Amino acid sequence: MSTNGQVAKAAYRPRPDSSQQGIDRRAFGLGLAGLAGTALFPLPAIAARSEVRFGLTPVFLDSDIRLIADLEAYLGARLARPVTLVKRRTYMEITALLVAGQIDAAWICGLPFIRHRDALRLVAAPVYRGAPHYRSLIITRSDTGFEEVEDLRGTIHAFSDPQSNSGKLVTQAFLAEKGETVSDFFADTFYAYGHRNVIRAVASGLAQSGSVENYVWEVMRDIEPDLIARTRVLRRSEAMGFPPVAASLQADPALVDALREALLAMPEDDRGQHILKTLRLDGFARVPSDHYDQIAGTWRMVHGAG
Amino acid sequence: MSVTSGSGSARRLLDPRQWPIAWRAPIILAVFMLLVAAGISKVVLSKLNETQTRHFAQLSDAYLEGLSTALIPHVIRRDPWEAFDILDRAGERYFGMNADLTVVTLADGRVLAASDPLRFPMNAPGPNGAPVGQDAMDPAIDPASDPASEANGSPIDNTGDLVWITRELRELDLNLGTIHALVDVSHYKEEQRQTLIGLIVFNAALTLLLAVIGWWLVRRSLAPLHLVTDRLAQSRDGRLAPFPDAMIPAADTEVGRAVDSYNKAAAAIAEREALLQRLAQEERAALIGRYASTMAHEVNNPLGGLFNAVRMIQRHGEDRAIREKAAHLIERGLANIGNVVKASLVMWRGRSEGCRLSSSDFDDLRYIVESETERRDLVLDWSIGIEQSCPIASQPVRQIALNLLLNACHASSPGNRVACHAWCDDGAFYLRVEDEGPGLPDEIRDMLENGPGTAIPSSRGLGIWTVARLVREHEGSIAVDPTPNTRITVRLPHVSDPALEAVA
Repeated sequence: MSTNGQVAKAAYRPRPDSSQQGIDRRAFGLGLAGLAGTALFPLPAIAARSEVRFGLTPVFLDSDIRLIADLEAYLGARLARPVTLVKRRTYMEITALLVAGQIDAAWICGLPFIRHRDALRLVAAPVYRGAPHYRSLIITRSDTGFEEVEDLRGTIHAFSDPQSNSGKLVTQAFLAEKGETVSDFFADTFYAYGHRNVIRAVASGLAQSGSVENYVWEVMRDIEPDLIARTRVLRRSEAMGFPPVAASLQADPALVDALREALLAMPEDDRGQHILKTLRLDGFARVPSDHYDQIAGTWRMVHGAG
Repeated sequence: MSVTSGSGSARRLLDPRQWPIAWRAPIILAVFMLLVAAGISKVVLSKLNETQTRHFAQLSDAYLEGLSTALIPHVIRRDPWEAFDILDRAGERYFGMNADLTVVTLADGRVLAASDPLRFPMNAPGPNGAPVGQDAMDPAIDPASDPASEANGSPIDNTGDLVWITRELRELDLNLGTIHALVDVSHYKEEQRQTLIGLIVFNAALTLLLAVIGWWLVRRSLAPLHLVTDRLAQSRDGRLAPFPDAMIPAADTEVGRAVDSYNKAAAAIAEREALLQRLAQEERAALIGRYASTMAHEVNNPLGGLFNAVRMIQRHGEDRAIREKAAHLIERGLANIGNVVKASLVMWRGRSEGCRLSSSDFDDLRYIVESETERRDLVLDWSIGIEQSCPIASQPVRQIALNLLLNACHASSPGNRVACHAWCDDGAFYLRVEDEGPGLPDEIRDMLENGPGTAIPSSRGLGIWTVARLVREHEGSIAVDPTPNTRITVRLPHVSDPALEAVA
């Protein structure tokens, strides 16, 4: 999973002040949700449309009007076209819109990307703490006596989304490696459709454990320390490719390039810096498609096991 | 003795009829006010409870209806996260509802989600026995699910602070599940408690104020009456002191009329007293007249003998024997006349009234009584146990004794015995008069024992009235023993010599 250090190194320029300043949690959530796609190709479905439609998924927080406005304004200025952010509840909805060319680009999870790689074009990957990587966590309540994943047998587990890599696939693969299936190992599971929701479900006791990505959990540790304090990490996965921004094949290639340049140039723009600060990202980097091969391997392993 | 007196005082304190009017009226007013206040408080609290129950029902209905609308799609999909998210956010949005816990159960009774999953985990049984199918207009109470709640008609009336309300989730007549909410109603009870305290404090203050005002008004109204009652209490021996003119209120007022009536009564009593005094003097004068005739009779008896003796001397004066016999007759006759004259002086002795009582006073008295007993053919039993003298005025004693003895003679039949005994003992003079007559009438006996009072005596009772008055004036007492003979014992305390001299 190490991956494309070369690509990351070549494309990513760290921005020293991008980090730990206080941000609004709702703004942060919406920001993550928002980076999801732009139509770039002048194909029939979208050629006649002058506005750019960018898809967002609720990665872990609710929408924030201010961040949406900032993002629309930034991308609109950089692309010299009006930009509309499209929000949906699940990854699948956004992915479907993206694959069908209903939206130009979207910030999606790595799993939908590798499953629809033929219909998508990789634009860029966020850089978090110096690299375009993240991890999957299995968390539980702080006051439980669980010490390892095996202790969770027969309990209720919260997943983030059926199409989430860190929010389901990694845990599913971990169990598969042990010859277990989710349905047999856990007494019950449900989807919270958002990493923050998974954290809330675990903290409240609705689920005894949950699968989330480390980026969300760590950022929320600063934003909502009381909530995070009620949870603890039971398992941390190896590093994987950070959820990318992908474009529809039907999008204008020039628009895709312009979008990539806009994302990569964020650290150099005041408004872009503000957005990155809100999202607690260092910036965006150009990454090759095989940056997500590990997720594809995991998918194949689980699919084979299942 | 003190115990008896104490219990008597306690009984008087406990008997409302013994309380002063100035206290009784405000106490009755206060009791009445308390009853009215209790009634008003009950009505107010009842209305408050009714309003709170209606408000709670409306609030519960709105709360459950809102939750129901939001939850039904997720209950249909059996989505625990969305159900939990709604319940979790509802706690903030319906802050005024004070829902302590909300649980959504599926049709099979298992928990889909709860606002506190640690108390009601997913897939666990829902609140035990919580009835379903009732809406918030008649909030259902689940006594089994939570010890704080109790079954009762109104959730506000329960002793616990938490009550369950439920709402069935239905779609197309299908039972999808139930919402259970454990609601804190303590603020309703606190509101009732504050209202009750306010009512108690206000009514108590109002009652106390009215009682004080009532006491002041009654006392002020009765103040003139107290003037009259105080005057009556200060009167002694039935003599009433009239109000001076300066103290008499206007005659056209109620108090003025009362004081005027009092003064008229006082004047009437004083007039009657004066009349009685005059009657007593006239009785005494009549007595003297009667005994003057007796004296004339007694003097006339020896006069015949004296004239015979004088004629004997005139005719046979040279005969020494006859002369001496005549002289002896004259001496006896004169002695009898002298005794009669001496006895007549008993009734009028002028300056001798203030003298100490001695046995000789009774010797004089005896002559008068003996003439009466002889005339009525009675037997006189005379026993005077006074050796020297008694420190007591003789004149009142003589008048008391004479009246009692004459009364005894009048009441006796021929051959009956009339007794007079007098002695001094233990700082007092005692006189006892006995007769064998039919006995004293009750009113006469009452007059002797309890004082003359204000009743006007009949002419026959005037002597006894005089006795009662004299004994009372000299701070003495009279005991009457009606059987077998009528025995009247007078006790007069000795007085100091200076006092006796002062009387003299």
